[in-house]
Amino acid sequence: MQKASGRKAFQIARRLSHLPAALISAALASAVLASVALFSACAKDTKTASAVREVFAMDTYMKLSCYGDGSEAAADEAVSEIKRIDALLSIGSESGSVRRVNESGRAAVDAETALIVEKAIELHGETGGAFDITVLPLMELWGFTSGDYRVPESSEIAAALEHIGSEKLSLSNGELSLGSAAGIDLGGIAKGYTSDRLTELFRERGISSACVSLGGNVQCLGAKPDGTPWRCGIVHPFNKDGGEYLGIVSVADKAVITSGAYERNFTDAKTGRLYHHIIDPSTGYPAETGLASVTIVSSSGILADALSTACFIMGLEGSIDYWNASGRAFDMILMRSDGGIFITPGIAGSFTSSGEVHIIDG
Amino acid sequence: MKKHGRDILLIAAILLIGGAIALILLLSRRQGAFVQVRVDGKAVALYPLGENAEHEIKGVNGGVNRLVIRNGEAWVESASCPDGLCVGMGHIRHIGASVICLPNKVVIAIVGEGADGGVDAVTGQ
Repeated sequence: MQKASGRKAFQIARRLSHLPAALISAALASAVLASVALFSACAKDTKTASAVREVFAMDTYMKLSCYGDGSEAAADEAVSEIKRIDALLSIGSESGSVRRVNESGRAAVDAETALIVEKAIELHGETGGAFDITVLPLMELWGFTSGDYRVPESSEIAAALEHIGSEKLSLSNGELSLGSAAGIDLGGIAKGYTSDRLTELFRERGISSACVSLGGNVQCLGAKPDGTPWRCGIVHPFNKDGGEYLGIVSVADKAVITSGAYERNFTDAKTGRLYHHIIDPSTGYPAETGLASVTIVSSSGILADALSTACFIMGLEGSIDYWNASGRAFDMILMRSDGGIFITPGIAGSFTSSGEVHIIDG
Repeated sequence: MKKHGRDILLIAAILLIGGAIALILLLSRRQGAFVQVRVDGKAVALYPLGENAEHEIKGVNGGVNRLVIRNGEAWVESASCPDGLCVGMGHIRHIGASVICLPNKVVIAIVGEGADGGVDAVTGQ
């Protein structure tokens, strides 16, 4: 008995004598593993030069990130470009053409503004009037320009509608005439134009990877520095508080722009009804087409910006018709008010969502 | 031979534990999410998302936003700004999400590395 336990004790002692060596080797191995793990996490940060800028402009918050050699200088140029375009296109700008046109009804416009107005008139025609830069009087009537919201009388809306419609505009020889329109506001297209310009600027400066978000209008140049696509979350119209997204779309070289009824709205104290800011230019009232949110994915920021609004107004069926008529030139993610999500096949492989997703087949 | 086998077992066990520690180190590093506060483009504070706390954020022009971090979520409880849009922006918890107060030029964003279902940008804000 004693002999047996003695042998056992000897065996344990023998094993223990190996312990320091085992411990040292294990500790060494762990140290190597841990440092490899930490290094691999750090290496990603130091591999590529990068620059991030935040700008408060165009009544919104903007964030620019670009990667690669020369990113600092390119980011600074991009910030200047935003300020330049803001001063050029803003409705209140002293130096821009828009204010002059709106005040006098007819004025010479700079070449850049003329190009944007031309594109806006073209999109107005293509979308059957859904996208319209002359809706300003209606936005003012509903208080969306001032924040003093109210439900206008139907007579007021009828009177305002007389002065709405981009077909009233005429642009020739660098001169823009309002005709019987009350005024123009390029706010529905300016951010899309700006993100196009920024992407172009980055490309010209040799930047191959960049992502800009101009108040929720996202546009990416190339893929991420590690070669994977940018993951762009789409705000969930009914679940903002839960921090959940409607879905996530992975993109490279694309603009991703969303319009939703949840973005700006007010509740009428008398009736308890909710009114949102996407006004249908044909009725003068907030568009009620059964959609809660529209996201457009396109290589053109200006197109994505205009179409996110236009498709919201056109509704699901109208948007599908337009998408077919355009030669399926863009992709879209539409959420119906009942929560159903409809996406075009072009992004079926790069869109994830926990919701009920239907692929549009034309 | 048998004893030698046990030694190897012991070394393997310790190695395994070491590896597990390395893995935990790596994962905890990647999933560490923080609440970053930026005022007028400058980062002014960084708080762990995992620690419940309340902070008063001083924005531009004397504006104030009350930031609450609780149960892995961050939100603006109250603010001095006239529109109160930042309060209405709700709770955020995923990397890439943010709450923005334009009048006070305050941006509250979840930052960190790695995959928690995080995104690089958010559209529709």
